[in-house]
Amino acid sequence: MASARALLDGAAMDDSSLIERSLAEPELFAVLFDRHSDEIFRYTARRLGAEIAEDAVADVFLIAFRRRHRYDAARADARPWLYGIATNVVAQNRRAERRRNRAMARIAPDRPGSFDERSAERVTAERLQPRLARILLGLSAAERDLLLLVAWAELTYEDAAQALGIPIGTVRSRLHRVRAKVRRALGGADPFDPDA
Amino acid sequence: MMDEEIKVFADARPAAPSYGGEARERARRRLMAEAGRRRTFPLLGGATGARRFLGWQAVGAFAVTVALVGGVTVAVGSQGGPASVAGPASRPESAVVARSGDFPELEPKPGQFLLFESTTMYTSEGDGEIWLYRTNRKMWRPVHGGTSGLLEIEWLEPRPYPGQTVPEVAKEDAEVTSHYEIKGYCPGAPEEVRRDYAYLSTLPADAGEMRAFLYRQPHGDDGDDDAYAFDALNELFRESYMPRAQREAAFEAGRTIPGVTVAQDVEDAAGRKGIALGREQHGLLTQLIFDPETFDFLGERGTVTGTVTPPAPVGSTLALTAQTGVTVVDALPEDVTDVNPDGSCDPAGGTREPVG
Repeated sequence: MASARALLDGAAMDDSSLIERSLAEPELFAVLFDRHSDEIFRYTARRLGAEIAEDAVADVFLIAFRRRHRYDAARADARPWLYGIATNVVAQNRRAERRRNRAMARIAPDRPGSFDERSAERVTAERLQPRLARILLGLSAAERDLLLLVAWAELTYEDAAQALGIPIGTVRSRLHRVRAKVRRALGGADPFDPDA
Repeated sequence: MMDEEIKVFADARPAAPSYGGEARERARRRLMAEAGRRRTFPLLGGATGARRFLGWQAVGAFAVTVALVGGVTVAVGSQGGPASVAGPASRPESAVVARSGDFPELEPKPGQFLLFESTTMYTSEGDGEIWLYRTNRKMWRPVHGGTSGLLEIEWLEPRPYPGQTVPEVAKEDAEVTSHYEIKGYCPGAPEEVRRDYAYLSTLPADAGEMRAFLYRQPHGDDGDDDAYAFDALNELFRESYMPRAQREAAFEAGRTIPGVTVAQDVEDAAGRKGIALGREQHGLLTQLIFDPETFDFLGERGTVTGTVTPPAPVGSTLALTAQTGVTVVDALPEDVTDVNPDGSCDPAGGTREPVG
């Protein structure tokens, strides 16, 4: 077991130092888990549903732990790295994700989620949700991964590039394509939408 | 500054539960066990590295309980005719009663569930391909929306989009059955988005007031209020049940939405003919089909009337459904496993830092 002292020390370190120290003291990796597992879980749950996400997140941190010796020590924040691993784990569960999107595309919007920050914009988005689910289904896997890392995980373009292991120029051009598709679908030219 | 097209997804981000309790503890313990092994037996690390930990599934994350107990079962027949709609094999034939002019309305009670059975076909896209996906759906919706319901989706063999072949990606779901928890209305949510019977039965029986209700539904601000009102009409009927007075008021209200046309003898996916309220949008005519006597919702039909992308011949059917049964049952089905929990009533969770 990691000593209480070691865990306390770990809590004061940035992710990079923590991962480096965990090479010698593996238990310190638990601090990284405590620090980021909620966030990674929420992202994964949004994509796969909470039940599958419980397993998926456990996989993410095990994979991260086993690959920690390859972590780029120059990067103080491990979130993009963890999101990258999460993206791969989600890909393994893509079938479940697709089914979930299709199910959600046909549910009347009587469960609009949190209302404590209710605003006109939020209402709009909630109203559009089944349509958005359908738009997501129309994106390629690579486009969907990128869009959701930016929109849901709120990664910067640089972080998203790191998470996906692609150049930032690719992030920009891919997002450009995504925006065009979304615009087309939302902007009154969604011929596939039986509700439209 | 986030681009508008991306922001619309960010704003619509589904709520997600926090990673709490047992599942999180289990994952952490497993990680620590792995860490302990690595420390003690570093040379065996490669062996554990290849191992995939299975069986961490949440226990009883959403326990669906109690048997389906037959209440009144109604198969929605056309124009008072016999209930010719074949229900799922699990439904006892003897329980199927034709709805006719003098058949009493369903009177579901709090604590019970309305079971909607339907067959659907809509377009779906994935990996740059498009096809028509088909399902059999069963939705158990609580009569009073404060409790959870259940959605069962049986994925059927897909059909090709007109002029195309069925892509490989479309075939992966065929013959799979999935279950989803359906939360009732969320505490704090505005009343008008509720779709449970207890609420719908309080809606106005007056067409004018019902029309105002349709236009009051949360909707986009792109100015196409009539299209949103028609969407709202669809959502009011799809997998939901109201007393006859409200059904009739909603039908009349829908008829007055600008752009709506009425057609007779429009056929649903089960071959039943009814009266349809239709509205054209983007080259597609969406028709909501009703029993002309009882105003029960039979299904919807989407027909190409203009230019769509990818192109499809005018007259092609891109959507076709039938709501084949509405039943009052006392409980959710037993023996349903692997239910995907619905976190949509949970707080959005976590702090949200602005991007960029």
